[in-house]
Amino acid sequence: MILIGEDLNVMTGEISRVIKEREAGPIKECVAGQTKNGMDYLDVNVGPVKKDPQGTMEWIINTVQDVTDLPLSLDTTNPVAMEAGLEVCKKKALINSASGTTESRETMLPLAAKYSTDVVLSVINDAGLPADADERAASIMDSAAFANELGIPNENIWVDPVLLPIGVDQRQVTSYLEFIQMLQDLLPGARSTCGLSNLSYGAPRELKSLLNRTFLIMIGRYGQHSAIVSGFDQELIRLIRGEVPEIVELIYRAMEEEDLDLSALSQKELEYAKTTQVLMGKSLYSHSWLEV
Amino acid sequence: MKYEPPLEKISVNIRETVLGQGEKSVKIGGENTLPFHSFEGSLPNSAGLALEVLDTQPENWAPSVLEPFEDVVSDPVKWAKKCVEVYGAEMLCLRLLSTDPMGKDRSPEEAAEITKKVTDAVDVPFIVWGTDMEDKDAQVLMQVARVCSGKNLLLGPVVKGNYEKIAKAALEHGHAVVAQASMDANLTKELNIALCKFFPPEKIVVDPTASALGYGLEYTFSIIEEIKQFGLVDKDKMMQMPILCDFGGDCWRTKEAKESREQGILWEAISGITFLLAGANLLVFRHPESLKLIKEMVI
Repeated sequence: MILIGEDLNVMTGEISRVIKEREAGPIKECVAGQTKNGMDYLDVNVGPVKKDPQGTMEWIINTVQDVTDLPLSLDTTNPVAMEAGLEVCKKKALINSASGTTESRETMLPLAAKYSTDVVLSVINDAGLPADADERAASIMDSAAFANELGIPNENIWVDPVLLPIGVDQRQVTSYLEFIQMLQDLLPGARSTCGLSNLSYGAPRELKSLLNRTFLIMIGRYGQHSAIVSGFDQELIRLIRGEVPEIVELIYRAMEEEDLDLSALSQKELEYAKTTQVLMGKSLYSHSWLEV
Repeated sequence: MKYEPPLEKISVNIRETVLGQGEKSVKIGGENTLPFHSFEGSLPNSAGLALEVLDTQPENWAPSVLEPFEDVVSDPVKWAKKCVEVYGAEMLCLRLLSTDPMGKDRSPEEAAEITKKVTDAVDVPFIVWGTDMEDKDAQVLMQVARVCSGKNLLLGPVVKGNYEKIAKAALEHGHAVVAQASMDANLTKELNIALCKFFPPEKIVVDPTASALGYGLEYTFSIIEEIKQFGLVDKDKMMQMPILCDFGGDCWRTKEAKESREQGILWEAISGITFLLAGANLLVFRHPESLKLIKEMVI
């Protein structure tokens, strides 16, 4: 599993401030920390950068590359900033992100073709977010065909099925699972990614990581190629790197077995088993899913 | 070969909740099949149909919904009696509107006293309803629970912010509660889980906050359907509570209802039958004719 560290993000106030003031220290610290924790890629989320998109992007990418050799995922909705970033990236970059919308087809996808980069392609299109797995399939087939025509091969496309918060719409989580299993048949060679933290948006703070970790193991089993995750979630990193095989095994069993015997499990195992069941859609989500 | 229609057998039940006491007590819920699927399972209890009574003179009521009660609106005891004796109501919903802190702001003691008088006067089961003000409702309903101890009232609404206080008083004094979570199956489950830590599940009725026709009835329909499906098909124990819908206020606020008696009655009846089709177990009506229409249709 390719892990993309999400922590360099303009949405966190501190990063927003230091970008504005061109203060390299905190950025370097954030980058070094995630690199040390074993991320494979780093996401650089600068938002829409309305002011000086070119200069800002160049500065931040160079600052990041001063302290890491990792490839970067460039996260901006501004095509001018995106192109400026691609110009200075030393390694093959990942454009985060394009979609099937007309605007994205006209601005982001041509950049992926021009610079032969990888590109995140979400299932969103002009009609919005598809309602289920089949609609996701139809949407991505259409957008990928368009990308192929521009000269972007499937291997450069990282499909984002779009993960919604489980507390908002549990069925969207189960259709994600359904869709990710179909993906290799739909688009052979294509990769996949998702914004994992979105899953637990709105969930109790102390339980967010449990949801994220469990889901990542589940989708990994279904062939998920990568995910954008917190580069500082040590427990998630240990789990995904195979350091806790018994928990991974348990999650697999909870995915398969209809009537998993919960009585024999330790407290920690019980938490993973219940979380898996709720993520599989076997029981209705509520914030207190561990208490039933 | 003989054709066998495929039937979906469900192995669990919606909990049966008993309201009131004695001969006139009413049972709701208890079904092990989807609404009106009597060919697939059993629906032991027909829906509970309650008529509304206010503890104070109604303000701004449409003339045609005020008309049936015109001679009794100044006295909730007479109002309740008329509902039962003249209009044949088998259950009542006493709305403690005068406790509204933004309005008359009557004290919990006064409210409990009125509730005692009204519930002593007629022997049908009662829903006793607050004003959707979390803190005030808690004070009022706790006091009502104490003063009317043992009457097995259905107290509500009980929400995330006040469920502990009200449900503890209800438990101590032998009442049931209405757990209210607005249009959200996840939050409905959440509140039920919290309540069931100390409160018996068979004394909980859930309220998804019904919206009448024209106010988002489709959403209410979906939520009721969802709750029922989770409870019966997915066997989710925290979703097997009977469902209450209270929507008379919405119906009689419409321009159509204010203009025409017939339109108002139909508005309320159509909303009610729709909720029953979705799976509601207990309806609160404002107009006796709407209640009568529903009764003729389903009972």
